[in-house]
Amino acid sequence: MPMIDMPEFAGDLLAEFAERDAERVNTPVIQPAEPFLDMAGEDLRRRIFLTESETGESLCLRPEFTIPVCLRHIASATGTPRRYAYLGEVFRQRRDGSNEFYQAGIEDLGDKATAAADARAIGDALGILKRVLPKVDLRLTLGDQAVFEAVVKALGLPHGWQRRLIHAFGDMAHLEALLERLARPQPVAGLDPDISAMMAAGDEAGLVERLDRTMQETGYSTNASRSPAEIAKRLKEKLELSQTRLDGTALLLLREFLTLQLPLADAPAALAGFADAAGLKLGDAVSLFSARLQSLANAGADISAMTYRAAFGRPLDYYTGLVFEVTAAGSTAVLAGGGRFDRLMTLLGAREHIPAVGFSLWIDRIEAARARQ
Amino acid sequence: MNAITIALPSKGRIKEETAAVFERAGLSISAVGNDRSYRGRIAGIEGVEIAYLSASEIARELAAGAVDFGVTGEDLVREGLPGVDAKVEFCARLGFGHADVVVAVPEIWLDVETMADLGDVAADFRARHGRRLQIATKYWRLTQQFFSAKHGIQLYRIVESLGATEGAPAAGQADIIVDITSTGSTLRANHLKVLSDGVILKSEACLVRARKPVHDEDGRISQIIEAVRASL
Repeated sequence: MPMIDMPEFAGDLLAEFAERDAERVNTPVIQPAEPFLDMAGEDLRRRIFLTESETGESLCLRPEFTIPVCLRHIASATGTPRRYAYLGEVFRQRRDGSNEFYQAGIEDLGDKATAAADARAIGDALGILKRVLPKVDLRLTLGDQAVFEAVVKALGLPHGWQRRLIHAFGDMAHLEALLERLARPQPVAGLDPDISAMMAAGDEAGLVERLDRTMQETGYSTNASRSPAEIAKRLKEKLELSQTRLDGTALLLLREFLTLQLPLADAPAALAGFADAAGLKLGDAVSLFSARLQSLANAGADISAMTYRAAFGRPLDYYTGLVFEVTAAGSTAVLAGGGRFDRLMTLLGAREHIPAVGFSLWIDRIEAARARQ
Repeated sequence: MNAITIALPSKGRIKEETAAVFERAGLSISAVGNDRSYRGRIAGIEGVEIAYLSASEIARELAAGAVDFGVTGEDLVREGLPGVDAKVEFCARLGFGHADVVVAVPEIWLDVETMADLGDVAADFRARHGRRLQIATKYWRLTQQFFSAKHGIQLYRIVESLGATEGAPAAGQADIIVDITSTGSTLRANHLKVLSDGVILKSEACLVRARKPVHDEDGRISQIIEAVRASL
C-alpha cells in the first residue's frame, strides 16, 4: 500500500500496533456484501457502495474492517487467541466528510479472560489516541449490555419480554415504546373466534393440525419458512405476553436504571446501591463490570475521566457486553469506538464460540483534532 | 423566458385521468406533430412543454431537476428520492391512481398482526431458520425507513422483486412482502394479509414540482399549480 496516501501519523499507529502485540492484516477492498447486510441489517444498504459481479454476486466496497478481519480469521483456520490490527481505507456514503476515509483498529479474538481483554481494548484505544493526540483532553463513555440484561432478568419479566427489551437496548425510542406497552398492556386483537377458543382450551395440537391443513390447501406449505408448530407456539407466547403488566414500581426502576450516568469510578457503588434499593440480584454482570474496572485501574487508566452511561448500547444482536466511545472534551465526534461482540464469530460461520472485543479509530476525525490541538 | 417542462404519464388510465384533470383545469394539451407524439404544449401559456414519460422515469427526472413538474404516483417519488421533501413539492393530490404501499405477511401467520409482532419474529428468525427474515419488494427505501426508523426493526433482508411480488412468499423467494395494493384482492388471492399498522404510505397520483430557485420569479409556475388545484 502506498504510504503516500496514508495519514501522516500512520507510522505511529503501526508502531503502536507492534508494541501492543497486534499482527497487522490487510483485507480486499472489494468484499461480498452479504455478511455486512446480514449482520448490520438493511439500514446499511444506503450507506455502503454496492455493486454486482458479472455473475450477479452482490459486492461492496469495504465499509469497515471488523467483519472482513473476522472472516479472514475463520477462513485461515488458525487458532485463538489472536490479536489483529488493521489500517486502511473504508468506503461509506456520508452526509458529512469524505466517502472514503481511513480506519485503524485492533480486534482481539479468543481471549477468554473477558474483563482483562475488555480493559486491554479500552487501554489500547486510549493509549494510541494519546500518542497521536498528546494535547487533547480525551473523554471515554462506557456502557454494558450485560448489566442491562441482568436488570431485566432480575425484574422477573417473562423470557419473551426480556428478549424484546434486550433486543431494543441501545435504541431509546424503541425501548420507550416497549416500556409503554408494558405499562399499558393491550389485548390481542383480530384473532378468529375459533382460534381464540382453541387457545383458551389449551388445544395447541389442534391448532397445529389446523394450521398444517390450511397450509396444505393453500399450497403455501412447500416453501413455508415458519412451520405450523412455530406459529402456534408464538401465538401462545404472544397471548401470554400481552397480559404481562409491569407494575409501576418496576417500571420506575427500569427507567431510573436507564437514566444512570456517572463517573465510571462511582459506577460499581451506584449499581450495588441501585440493586439493593430495588431488591434485585444482579450477580455476575456486576462482578464482571467491577472486574473490568479493576483491570483498568491496575493498568493505570484514569477512571475519573471515564463515564458510565447505563442506556449506552448498540441495537445489533452480535454485541454482548462492553461498548465504549472516545471523544475529545467538548466535542461529539467519536474518535474511537469499540465493544465486545461475542456472538459475531459464530454468526459469521465460526464452528466454535470465540469471544471477541475490539475497537476502531476514525482517522479523519483524529486528523481534524490534530489540526485543532 | 425559460421553457417549463411538465412530465406526464405516457400510457394507461393514469394518462387519461391526467389529461382529464388538465382539461378541467383549463390547461388544454395539444400534441406536437401527430397524436402519438411524446411531446405536447399547453395552449394559452407560453413556453410550457409536455413530455410524456413512464411513471417511474418521471420520478427520476424530477429528482434530477430535468423537468419542472411531473404527474406520477407519490410512492414512486418517495421511493426514488432520498431527502424527498427538500427536493420536490407535492402541489396537489389528484384523486386517482390510489394505491397503498403495505406490509403483507402470509395469512397463516396467525400470531403476526402488527409491526411489533413482526419485530419479534424478525429478532428470532436467524436463530430459528439460519437466515434473516426476507422481504420481497421493489420499495427498498420506503421499507427501510418504515422498518428501521419507525419500528426499530433492523434485522431483515430485502430481496429485490420487480414483478409478481405477491407470489414471492408462496414461491419461497421471501417470507413477507412490501408492495402496493388498491383493493387488496391480489393479496387475498395469494393468501397474504396486511398488518393492522402496516400501511407505509397511502399513495395517489400527484402534481409534483421540482424545487428550483428560478421558479420563485416565474408566474407561470403558480398559474399552473393554482389551475390544477382549482379543478379538483
